Amino acid sequence: MKVILQTNNLHKSYGRVTAIKNLSFTIHEGNVFGILGPNGSGKTTTLAVITDVIRPDKGIFFWFEQTSSPVLRKKIGSLIEIPNFYPYLTLKRNLKVVARIKDVPDKDIPRVLDIAGLSARTNSHYDTLSLGMKQRLAIASVLLGNPEVLVLDEPANGLDPEGIAEVRQIIINEAEKNKTIILASHILDEVEKVCSHVGILKNGEMIAQGKVNELLLSKDPVIVSAENIDLLEEEIIRSGLSESVTRENNNLMVILKKGYSTSDINAYAFSKGLILTKLEQRKRSLESQFLELVK
Amino acid sequence: MKKLIEIEFIKIASYSVFRVLILLHFILFFLVVLVTSQLDITVPGFSTYNLYQFPNVWEFFPWVASWFNILLAIMIIVLTGNEYSYHTFRQQVINGLSRIQLLSGKGTLIVIIAIYSTLMVFLFSIIFGFIFTREYVFSVFYEKIYILLVYFLQAIAYMALGFFIAVLFKNTGLSITLFILFRFIIEPVIRLFFPKNFRLYFPVKVISNLTPMPEFLTIFAGKMNGDNQAIDTYSLREMGIMPEELPILVNIILAAGYTILFVFLAWLLLKRRNL
Repeated sequence: MKVILQTNNLHKSYGRVTAIKNLSFTIHEGNVFGILGPNGSGKTTTLAVITDVIRPDKGIFFWFEQTSSPVLRKKIGSLIEIPNFYPYLTLKRNLKVVARIKDVPDKDIPRVLDIAGLSARTNSHYDTLSLGMKQRLAIASVLLGNPEVLVLDEPANGLDPEGIAEVRQIIINEAEKNKTIILASHILDEVEKVCSHVGILKNGEMIAQGKVNELLLSKDPVIVSAENIDLLEEEIIRSGLSESVTRENNNLMVILKKGYSTSDINAYAFSKGLILTKLEQRKRSLESQFLELVK
Repeated sequence: MKKLIEIEFIKIASYSVFRVLILLHFILFFLVVLVTSQLDITVPGFSTYNLYQFPNVWEFFPWVASWFNILLAIMIIVLTGNEYSYHTFRQQVINGLSRIQLLSGKGTLIVIIAIYSTLMVFLFSIIFGFIFTREYVFSVFYEKIYILLVYFLQAIAYMALGFFIAVLFKNTGLSITLFILFRFIIEPVIRLFFPKNFRLYFPVKVISNLTPMPEFLTIFAGKMNGDNQAIDTYSLREMGIMPEELPILVNIILAAGYTILFVFLAWLLLKRRNL
């Protein structure tokens, strides 16, 4: 699969504060890669470095397997931190500036304004927009020229629940067109619902990364029960299938080792003459895993 | 280049501050030359009308316009400061402009504004020159017209200084204050600490000396004697009546050098600093 972005040991400090440390990750074509982390973890710095507005102290990154350049950046639609537009210009004129930079014809402007739900405000001045509308305009400018890659930093900032759902739908729609999307967010629900892959940042370091499903599955607890709960507990511990077993009322909460599934537990219990009265995979939210990781 | 001009035009066309400043620049210049043309200060052998006649008008109008170059420099500071306060320089790099294109965009704008200002001075010089010149001789008409080109360079130099200060401080208010302080207080005070000969080489001095005050005394004395060369400016300077100046060609070369330096320093800042 085509590599869209590759970062090798990116490092950036602001004085004594290290914003990102030896950051390496690879994003392939069609990935919706979520960069997840608490405030100050280095998400925005990471995106600012890969969009060339901040120079890294060390390390290198490649877009489309080439050194970053203005020409390559035109193939990327980016929203970093906050929408940046001229307050005294209308929405249309602001997008015209972006269109000129990206060598996109003006006829694309109505399309993206429509997607962002701002068609009725085409000739309004930017400074008359609400925070949510400004964010929508930023989304519109990101989509201008139908770029191959979208880089979005907290795209749901300032949006009401309806707006959040709409932006989420826009991202999903774009992902369905096999676009590569890099999404930085602290809203775990957003990452969980939208992203195919996730990287978790803590103090500027990528502490975990992988497919969202794999990250979830590898840590999901399995709830099991049997008539003889004490024997079941002993057998499961002895089986070597589990990382941990915890008693939860008349149930056992089992964290399986990587590569094992609920059917393995069922088969093992059956082989030991134990009939399971309960076997349930409880999906822990990404939030609980995220909090555990960044603890 | 066409793309950069279009981008800059979209930005300024709807910007009311820009329109007000340009209009103010135009109207103030017009009012000053109009009002002073109505002041009939006449002493035997000299009248202020002489300043409005060819070829003196080519010297007098650029000198008047040179004071309004400060307004043009402030305009560039406002436009550049906006790019930092709205984070639009940053966004334009994200969208696909290179840092050299950011510089070229503003550089092109500076040249366009300087062309406008020079054309304005040319237009008013022609109009007033034809109104006030009684005996029209073609060779006299274009005698000092080259000063317009010197004025053009001066306008660019002031705006380049403004641009550099704005890129250095990234803040409109602070940059305007420092530009005015540097122009009228800081550099003149620093100059005092240097020997007289060195003072002529300071940037603001060099740039402002491109269009020096018309030599009223020469014009006056020439008229008195019926000969423009009767008392030359050299002897007036020797007497301490006219300020010391470098030869015009040296001044032009130095001003061009300072302009290139300001642009180069602004480029270094844009290139090396985070946006």
